[in-house]
Parts: sequence; C-alpha cells; structure tokens
Amino acid sequence: MKENVFIVHRSEIIRKGLSLILQEYFKMEITQLNSAKDLSSFAGISGSIMILILEAQADLNLRAIDQLRKNNEVCLVGFYAENSDDQVDQTFDYQLNQFASPIQIQKLIQVIRQSGNKNKNPMQDNGELTSREKEVIKLIALGLANKEIADKLFISIHTVISHRKNITEKLGIKSISGLTVYAIMNNLLDIQDINPEELI
Amino acid sequence: MELFRREDKMSSLITRNYNLLPVINRFGIRLGFKEKTIAEVCQEKNIDTDFFLAIVNTYTDESYFPEAEFLSFSPVLLIDYLKNTHRYYINYVLPKIEQLLNKVMESCPDNCSSLKMINTFYQKYKSELLLHLKLEDEKVFPYILNLYENKTLSPEGSFIEVIENEHTNVEVKLSDLENLIIRHLSPNYEDNAMNEFLTALLQFENDLNDHARIEDHILITKVIEFEKELKK
Ligand SMILES: [Fe+2]
Ligand SMILES: [Fe+2]
Repeated sequence: MKENVFIVHRSEIIRKGLSLILQEYFKMEITQLNSAKDLSSFAGISGSIMILILEAQADLNLRAIDQLRKNNEVCLVGFYAENSDDQVDQTFDYQLNQFASPIQIQKLIQVIRQSGNKNKNPMQDNGELTSREKEVIKLIALGLANKEIADKLFISIHTVISHRKNITEKLGIKSISGLTVYAIMNNLLDIQDINPEELI
Repeated sequence: MELFRREDKMSSLITRNYNLLPVINRFGIRLGFKEKTIAEVCQEKNIDTDFFLAIVNTYTDESYFPEAEFLSFSPVLLIDYLKNTHRYYINYVLPKIEQLLNKVMESCPDNCSSLKMINTFYQKYKSELLLHLKLEDEKVFPYILNLYENKTLSPEGSFIEVIENEHTNVEVKLSDLENLIIRHLSPNYEDNAMNEFLTALLQFENDLNDHARIEDHILITKVIEFEKELKK
C-alpha cells in the first residue's frame, strides 16, 4: 500500500527538521503543511496508509481527517512541545515530543508500519486459505484467466480479483508459477494435471 | 547510511558495507588499499571517481538518487559496468547458487517431491533471468550505444520501457521462491545446506535489486531524456 506522510506544524524549523530525520532513513513521500486546514485539499487520496504528524496544541481539522479515514488507513501522531506523559490525548494513536531523538522518531514509524500490516486482515489472519480460495488457486494453476475462473465458479470477475489479492497476501506468493508450485506442494493439484514445462 | 565521499578511505568503504566487495571488484579494484582515499584509488585505476561514487552509493542507500551532475558520465561507462555485473552473475553467482541448491536436494532423505518442485521453480526463475540479461546484453545495451553514437532515433522504436516491467517480473519470482521456502516448504532437508543456499539467494536478491535500480534510475532515466531531446 502506498504511504503518505503529513507533517502539520506552524514552525517551519520543526517541519523541515522532522522530515529530514525521516527521509534520512525511509523512502517516503512527505507533505509539509503549515496548518491542518490545508488537509482538506488532500481529501482525494485513497487506498493509502496515511501517517499524520500533527502539532498537538493546534487546531486539528478533524473533519478533514474523518474524510481521509473513509478511504485510507489513517494513523495520527500528536507532536507535543513538552515532554509530558500525563497529557494523553485520546485523539492520537501515538505521541511524539520535540525532544525525541531521531532514533525514537524512526522507531515510531517502524512500529506504525508493523501495526498497519497486522490490522490488514483481522478476520482471516491465521493465514489459512478458505475453501473458495483453494479452488481459485487450483484454477489459476491450471492456467485459467480471471474471466474463465469467474464463469466456472459462478462469481464475478471482481470477486475473483479480490480472492487473488487475499491469496497473495496470505501466502506471500504473487506469480502464477509460484502459486502453481504452492498448489502442488499442498496437494490442491496433482502434478499430472499440469504441464510443468509450460506453466511453471 | 551516510553517503561515501571522494575523500573517504577506500578501506572504510568495505568496513562500512562489505556487500560492496564484488562491486569494487567489478571496477578492477582489489583489496590492500593502505591509507588511500577513494579518489586516489580511482585515479590509479583510471576510473571516473564520480561514477564510482554514484554506483557505490546507490548500493548503499536505497533512496539515493544521483543528482543531475552525476548523470553526466558517459553511458558507455555505465553499460560497461552493467555488462561486467551480468558476467559476474552468469559465471559466478548463479552457478554457486545452483551448487548450493543441489546440496540441499542431496540432503533430502525421502519424500522429496516438494523440494523437487522448488528446484523446478528455481530453474524456471533462472532461465527467465538469463533471458532478461541476454535481452539487455544483446538488444538494449547495443540500442543505447547506437543511439548515443548516431544521435538518431531508431525507426523500430525504443526498447527502453520494457526493461522496467521485466525487472518487476523477475523480482516477483525471486520473492515467491523465497516465500515458498521460508513459509511453505516442510523442512525435509539438512539445515546447514538450506541456510547456505538461502543466504546466498537473499544476498543475490539484494545485489540484483541494486543492479536493477541502477538500470532504472540512472541508465533508463538518462536514455529517456536523451530520446526526448532527439525527438525535438
Ligand atoms: Fe541488467
Ligand atoms: Fe535488468
């Protein structure tokens, strides 16, 4: 998933410093904004992981943030001027303060990234394939195109594509030949059913 | 990681990133640098220092993207380097990986059909990769060299855009292979043999990704710009 990072702070020194620290270690697109008001102009973004680092004491523009949440995975980081643990603000998923070391800041991004990966499939996270998904793999391995798979299983192409996406996420295998090997290794398919020369 | 500069010691290059060992070899640089700086060694070996730095920094920092002035060196130089890398893959790395895979196969006591599938998959991956290297060596690189020499666009169109796509396909196959082994294959083999094979494979993956990045980010960017200029 694409990753968008926003740094919203009135101080240019902080915006620039923070994005420098992040960019030193991560290849990420960072947008620096002076005010949360400007977040509204990014409402068109969808399908992204959005990490918003917001000046905690400033106006947050929660409306724009809610808008973004509809089509993205949004993570809010409160950026505080002082080092104080007691001012926990429920709005934020994470907190940072201006005395955080570069390492702490970079660690935080890693933590966010990892939790993002975990939350992706909360219902199906044991990695087991559903019986439908197994059928789909089998047909992929036999060399059928999405349209043919849809016809055979009486489902829409759209559903086939979403099955394929889930399969790839669960197994970590993308290519048709990789899926074929998986299918044979797990006895979803007999090696006699395919021509290994052609398909793998 | 911090980028290397011309006044850094050549020895620090290796102590900071030992993955650069085969990279410097491809330039004809060998160990035993004493206190010489990067610039000094390059000068001795008649290597364009800026070019050398652009390459080693690309291997060192994933987000590193050479500035316009770094792009000033000749594509001949770049292609020479890339071809050298291909030879290193074909003559050294791939045979070595295959040898290690054979050892894994030999260490399998019985019910080795899954491992055989992995082997077949590896063979397919290898032939796809070799085909890609061949396409670059025989079609893409000559096309580029010709383009710079004659400064005219070929009527058959450009080869350039195909490569990026191919890179993705080859990368996907390799990551599939790794996931099949790490996540899905039941461990019916001798561990040390597998570890050696997998380590070599993962290291190759890093090297190959960097190689493809040099092609995509430096070479292709350069050529596409040049083609645009010619079209004017
Ligand atoms: Fe290449
Ligand atoms: Fe390539």
